[in-house]
Amino acid sequence: MSTKYDAIIIGGGHNGLICAAYLAKAGRNVLVLEKRHVLGGAAVSEELHPGFKFSVASYVVSLFRPHIIRELNLAKHGYQIIPMDCSFLPLPNGDSLARWADPQRSRREISRFSQKDAETYPEFSRVMTHMGKLAKEVIDHPAPDITSLKIKELTSLLRLAKVFKGLGPDLLHLNTKLVTLSAVDFLDLWFESETLKAPMSVSGIIGTYQGVRSPGTAYVLLHHYMGQLDGAFRSWGFSKGGTGGVSLACAEAAKSFGAEIRTESAVQQVHIKNGKAVGVVLENGDELHAKQIISNLDPNRTYLKMIGEEHLDEDVLKEVKRFKLRGSSGKVNLALDRVPEFSCRPGDGDHIRGDIAIAPSIDYLEKAFDQAKYGEFSQRPYINAVIPSLTDPSVAPPGKHILSCFVQYAPYHIKEGAENWPKYREAFGDTVVDTMAEYIPGLKDMILYRQVLTPWDLEQQMGLTEGNIFQGELSLEQLLFQRPIAGYSKYKTSVRNLWMCGSGTHPGGGIMGASGELCAKTMLKSRSI
Amino acid sequence: MNKRYDIIVIGGGHNGLTAAAFLAKKGKKVLVIEKRDQLGGTAAGEEFHRGYRTFGLFNDTSWVRRSVIDALKLEDHGLKTTKKRPETAILSKNGGGVLLSGDIDQCISEISKFSKADAEGYRDYRRFIDKISGLIVGIMNEVPPDFMNIGSGDIWQLLKKGWALKRLGKKTMMELLKVAPMSVADFLNERFETDFLKAGMAGPAVYSSFNGPWSSYTTLNLLLWECLAKENVVGGPHALITALEKAVMDKGVDIQTGIAVDHIILNEDRVVTGVQLTDGSEINANVVASSCTPSETFFNLFKPNEIEYSLEQGIRHYRSRGTTAKINLAMSKPLEFNLNTQKPMEFARTGNTFDEMEKAFDPAKYRKFSDEPLLDIAIPTVSNPDLAPEGHSVVSILIHFAPHHFDGGWTMEQKEKLKMNVFKTLRQYTKDFEEHIVGEEVLSPVDIEERYTLTNGHLLHGEHAVDQLITRPIPSCSQYRTPIRGLYLCGSGSHPGGGITCAPGALSAKTILREM
Amino acid sequence: MPVKSAFFPRTSELCESMKWKEWAGYYAASSYLTLHDAEYFAFRNSAGLLDITPLFKYRVEGPDAASFLSRIMVKDISKLKVGKVTYCCWCTDQGKVVDDGTVMRRDENMFFVTSADPCYTWFSRFLRGYNVTLVDVSEKTAGVALQGPTSREIMKQVFDADLDNFRFFSTVKTRAGGFEAYISRTGYTGDLGYEIWVDNADALKLWDALMHEGKRYDIRPAGLDALDMTRVEAGLILKDVDYFNALHALIDDRMSSPYEISLGWTVNLDRDPFNGQAALRKESLEGSKWAIVGLDIDWAEIEAIYARYGLPPEIGSHAWRDSIPVYTDKSLRTQVGYATSGTWSPILKKNIAMATIRKEFDQMGSEVQIEITVEHVRHTATATVNKTQFFNPERKTSNPNATKS
Repeated sequence: MSTKYDAIIIGGGHNGLICAAYLAKAGRNVLVLEKRHVLGGAAVSEELHPGFKFSVASYVVSLFRPHIIRELNLAKHGYQIIPMDCSFLPLPNGDSLARWADPQRSRREISRFSQKDAETYPEFSRVMTHMGKLAKEVIDHPAPDITSLKIKELTSLLRLAKVFKGLGPDLLHLNTKLVTLSAVDFLDLWFESETLKAPMSVSGIIGTYQGVRSPGTAYVLLHHYMGQLDGAFRSWGFSKGGTGGVSLACAEAAKSFGAEIRTESAVQQVHIKNGKAVGVVLENGDELHAKQIISNLDPNRTYLKMIGEEHLDEDVLKEVKRFKLRGSSGKVNLALDRVPEFSCRPGDGDHIRGDIAIAPSIDYLEKAFDQAKYGEFSQRPYINAVIPSLTDPSVAPPGKHILSCFVQYAPYHIKEGAENWPKYREAFGDTVVDTMAEYIPGLKDMILYRQVLTPWDLEQQMGLTEGNIFQGELSLEQLLFQRPIAGYSKYKTSVRNLWMCGSGTHPGGGIMGASGELCAKTMLKSRSI
Repeated sequence: MNKRYDIIVIGGGHNGLTAAAFLAKKGKKVLVIEKRDQLGGTAAGEEFHRGYRTFGLFNDTSWVRRSVIDALKLEDHGLKTTKKRPETAILSKNGGGVLLSGDIDQCISEISKFSKADAEGYRDYRRFIDKISGLIVGIMNEVPPDFMNIGSGDIWQLLKKGWALKRLGKKTMMELLKVAPMSVADFLNERFETDFLKAGMAGPAVYSSFNGPWSSYTTLNLLLWECLAKENVVGGPHALITALEKAVMDKGVDIQTGIAVDHIILNEDRVVTGVQLTDGSEINANVVASSCTPSETFFNLFKPNEIEYSLEQGIRHYRSRGTTAKINLAMSKPLEFNLNTQKPMEFARTGNTFDEMEKAFDPAKYRKFSDEPLLDIAIPTVSNPDLAPEGHSVVSILIHFAPHHFDGGWTMEQKEKLKMNVFKTLRQYTKDFEEHIVGEEVLSPVDIEERYTLTNGHLLHGEHAVDQLITRPIPSCSQYRTPIRGLYLCGSGSHPGGGITCAPGALSAKTILREM
Repeated sequence: MPVKSAFFPRTSELCESMKWKEWAGYYAASSYLTLHDAEYFAFRNSAGLLDITPLFKYRVEGPDAASFLSRIMVKDISKLKVGKVTYCCWCTDQGKVVDDGTVMRRDENMFFVTSADPCYTWFSRFLRGYNVTLVDVSEKTAGVALQGPTSREIMKQVFDADLDNFRFFSTVKTRAGGFEAYISRTGYTGDLGYEIWVDNADALKLWDALMHEGKRYDIRPAGLDALDMTRVEAGLILKDVDYFNALHALIDDRMSSPYEISLGWTVNLDRDPFNGQAALRKESLEGSKWAIVGLDIDWAEIEAIYARYGLPPEIGSHAWRDSIPVYTDKSLRTQVGYATSGTWSPILKKNIAMATIRKEFDQMGSEVQIEITVEHVRHTATATVNKTQFFNPERKTSNPNATKS
C-alpha cells in the first residue's frame, strides 16, 4: 500500500525538518522519514544517562537564520537560544583570558596580554562587520552560478558585485585575504598576542581537516561578526533543552503546517524510474511514492547510496567521488556530579557559562593538526568545551552538570584505517579527559558517565560520511556554486525530481537552517512542487 | 650643479636593468644605481670558492619572458636559450627517477616506466595546462587592472578576463575553478599514483612559500609555474645579466655600482625630485623606479614621517617570510644521482612523498628548519664546465624549508647543522659525494637577506599568494605607481612577481612611459 | 564590570544619589546629589571637584618626543614651550579625527598627553624611526579637575606654586603637603579651573587636601551631569557624542575632519609631514562639507508651542545628547544637519545646542529650524546660528593678581 505525497524528505535533521516546514506551510503534502528513533540528525538531544540530556553532536547554535525563526514561528514551538556571554581560555601557566560582551571588560582582560591588541580589537570588529555584510548576502541566497550566462544568474551575480563594490578597494583586498589566508595569518594583520590569537583562530578550523595555519581558514572568523548583522549582539548560544531543542521546534512547526514525520523509518534507496525519482524504498521493504524526493543526507550518501552509481553519468560520478568529506573531530560528553571548576579561575561564575577553549597557543593548535595530517588523533587536542547545564538547568539534575567537549583532531582516516577507530575510542576519550583534568582538578572523580564519539561513530550513528560534521569539507572548491558539485549546486541533483537540502549544499555547515530553507524556496519558486 | 636624469632606477638586478633598457629605448635618460660592486642582484654570478663560480641565486631561468628577449633583442647581445624546458630529474629514494622536460612524449615514456596510468594522466595534465596557459600567461604578462578604481575603464579589462575564462570552454573553466584553490597534494592525488613523481612535480608549488603540499591554494602556484616555465637561458641567470648589461649600455644608460641610495628626495608637495646617495651627493630626476623589495623601498629609502600610515600598514601586511636557504658545493667530480641514466643531470628535485614534503615544511611553522629538507638542485657545470676547474663541478642547492625567523637566530652551528641535514637527505638520492667536496658555502635566509637586500631573505620579494598576485604588492601600489608621485616599483615585489622573469621591469617601464 | 578610580573611597561615600555611569570602564558619579543643579552652580559660582581619572594618559619621553608628537598631532608640537599646554586633535591619513585631547610639555623632552579613547596603540604605530618612549600611565595616574571661580584660592591653599602668575594653558610640577603633583590651568567647563595629576598612591591625599581647604570656598564634588551642561555652554565637543573616532566609525559618513568639528584652528598645515597632512591641505583648499555651530533656540517659540497644549515649557534640567534633526524651514523636508548635544543654560537663561550642519548654512546669525517634540507631536523651533562658545567669562583666562607680565 503506498501513499502519494508531494514530497518525501529523507532524513529528519534540522535542515530536513525546516525544508518540510516550508513546503508544508506552502500547502504541500510532505512526509519526513528519519532512520533513528529521535529527530534532529546531528542536532539532537538524547538522555544517555538518567536525568542528563546531552547535545550529542552539535552543541551550540551559531548562525541560525533569524528569518527562519520568524517565518516558521519557531519561538511558539519552543525554540529558545540563550546567548553565551563569555569566551574563556584557561592557560596552563595558571593564567586565563575571558572575552566578554562588555567591550571595556574585554579590553582590560586582553590588555594583560597585549595592550595593543586590546585597543586594536574594535578596529578589527569594524572591518569584520563590513565583511560580514558580504557573507550574509552569500548565505541568505542560493549561490549564483558564475559559469552561466543566464539572465537570472547574471542578475544575482550583479547583486553580489554591487555589495563587493560598496566595500571599496581596501576592504575588497582584505576580503581576498579573508577568503584565502590562514586564520593565523589573517589575525596577524591585527594582533600580536598568541593568547588572543589562538582562541580566535580556532573558529576557522572547527569541523575542518585544516590547521590554524592552513590557507583558506580565515573566512570562518566572520561568523562571530555576523550575529550583529542578524540583530543580536552575540550569535553563539545554547538551545534550550540542548541542540535537539532546535530540531524539535522545527519538527513541531512542520507538523503544525501539516507535515507528517516518521521515525525509525530508514530509507534503503530512492526509487528511480526512467531517470526520474518516483519514491523511496524503506529498509523494511515498504515503498512510498511522491512527486518529489528530497535528501537531507550528505552528497556521498545521496548520490552513491540513495541514487546508486548505475544512475549517474560518468562526469557526475567523477565529481561526486572527488567531493571531500574527511571528518576531523570527535566528541566527548561527560555527566558530572558537581560544577567543574578551573584551577586558574575557580568558581562557577559567568566565565564558564560560555564557550571554553583549550587552545593555549598557536603552536599547540598547529601541532595538534600536524599529528592528524599523518593519521593519528591529537595527543594534545584542541577542545571546545561547554557546560550547558549552568545556563539551562533543564538538561541535568539539580547540582549536576554536563561537560560537553568538542575535540580536534580526530581524523577519520587513521593510519590503521577508519574501521579500527573502535579500538582507540577509549584511549581517545582518556586523552580528552586527561587534557581537561589538567585545568579542572579532580575532574576524573566527578564523572558519572562518559560518552565518546569518534568520527567513525558519527558515521555509524548519524550517517555522516567519514564523520564530517558539515556533510563535506568547507574548502573554497566545495563552496558556493561548487557545493556539492558544479552544475548541481542549486539543491537539484542529476536525477530528475530528486533534491538535496542538507549541509552538503550551499551554504552548508552548522545549525543555520539555510540549506533546508533555500532548498524549499528554490523548489517552490521554480514551481517544481 | 647636481646631475639630472629623466629616470633613476634603484637596483641593477634583472628587473632594474630590464626597466632601464625599455625606458632608454624610448629615448629617456636613465641612471641605474646598484649598491653592490657588480650588476645582477640575485642573478649575479659569484665566486664562492676560489676557482668555482655559481651563476646566481636561482637555478631556474625558465620564467624569463620571450617578449622581453625579443623586444630588447637580447639574442643580438649574446643571449642563448634552450628553446624548451630543460630536463629535470624527479628523484626517488628507491633509486631511479623520472626526467621531466618540455618534450612531452619523452616525459610520458619516462613516466610509463613506473606507471602506465600516470603516463596517461600526465598527457591529460599537460593538455589541461595547454588549455589554460593562454589565459594565465595573458594575466601574467600584462599590467594588472586597477583595483583602486573598479568601475573605471578597468572594469572592461576585468570583463575581458572573465570572457577569456569563459572561452576556455565550460569543462576546462569548471576544472580550473575547481582545482585552483585545492592543495597541490589533493590535486595531484586525483591524477597520479606514483608518490615520488607527484612529490617532485609539486616542488615548484611550495618552493619559497610558507606552505606544504597539503596547504590549500598551492595548486594555483603549480599551475602558474607550469604555464610560465618555457625555455631556460643557457649560462643561467648570469648570462641573462650579461646580455641585459650589453643592451642597456648599448642604449646609453648610465650605471653606477658600489654606491647605495641613502634616501629618495621629496619636495614639500611629497613629489619625488631625485635621490641622495650615501656619499651625500644628490642626483635629480622626476621619476625614480625602485627594484628593491617593497619594505626596503618604503621603509629604508624614506624618512618615517614621509610614509603615510595606511601605506606603511599595507606594506607591513605584505607577507614575505623567507623559508629558503642555499648551499653551494665545489666538487672535484660531478655529483651522481641514483638514476638509470649515464646522462649527467643539470637539474633535479627531491620530495619522495607528500608526507615527507609536508614534514619538511612542518618545522618552519615552529621557527625551525627541516630535518630532511626539500632540495631543488642545480649542477650548472653540466652545461657550463668553465664555472669550475676542468673535470670539477659546482652543485648549487636551494633548501626548503629554513625559516628566516629562526628560533635562537642563525648561527654558524645552525648553518652547519642545516648542511648536515642537506647531506643526509642528499645521500639518499646520490652516490657518495662528501669526500669529493673541496669547498662550500652555506647561505641562511639571513645571509641571503644581507647579501641581496631581500626582506626576510625572501627570494621572490614576497610570497606568491592569491592576495599578493595581481594586486601585488598591495592595491595602492599595484600598477607599479605608488601613492608617492614620481615613485614607481619595478622589482619582483610587483606583478607578476618573483623569480627570474624580467616581467615586472618591462611592465613597470611601460607604465612609466605612459605616464611621463 | 567597571573598575574604581583611586578616589573611589571618597567619591563613593559622597555620592548620595547613587547615580553612577560607566566612563571608559570606570565608575563615574553622574551627580552626587539627586539633583545636579548645585554641582552645576559650584562650577559657575564657587568650585566643583570632578574625578577625571578615566581619561587616558600617556607620557612621551625622549630626544625625539616633540617631533614624534608633531608627526601624530595636527598641531606643530615642536613649537609648544616647556610649561605650556595645548589642545588639539589627531587624525588618520584621510584627515579624519581619531580623538582629541591635551598635550602638556612638562620638560624639553617630556610630554604628557590625555585622550578620551585608548590611544596607546595608535600612537605606538608611529614610533618607527623616533628616539622616544611612549608609556601608558593611565592606570597609575589619578586626576581631578577643580573648576570654578574660587578654584584659584583653593589651589593656593594647597599647592606651593605661584598661582597668581600661573597662566591659562600652563602646567607646572608642584608640591603639596607630602606629595607631588602636576597641575595645569585647563578644564572642560569653560571657567577658571585647574586639572591636577598625581600618582594613584597620593590620590586620597590630594582629594582630602582640596576638600579640606576648599570648604571655606564652597567646594563641592561634582559629577558628569553638571560637567555636561558646562561643556555645552563652553562649546567644547565630546567624542562619541559630537563626533566619532574615525578608527571605530563604521561608515565614512560618520568620520569628521578637524575643520568639520570646529577644530580647524588647531591645524598647522605647513610644516614637516604629519598624519593627515595631504588630506587636510586638500580640504583647507577645497572647503569642508560640515561645520559644528552653536544653536540659540528661540525660547518664545518653545513657550508658545507648549502653551498650545496648556503646558509650561518642560525643558529638562539635564543636558541631552540625542541626535535631533535641523532643517531650513518648518516643513521638515530640507534637513541641513543635526544637533548632537544641548542644554538649558541656567546662567544664560537660554536653550542652547551644538549642531553639525552643512557648511553653507553655518553663517553666524542665520536661522534654522530644530525639531522639538511636545506632547508626542513633532514641531520646530527657530534657532539662531551662533559660535559654539556661549559662555566665556574673563576669569577663565585672566590673572588679576599677576606680578609678572
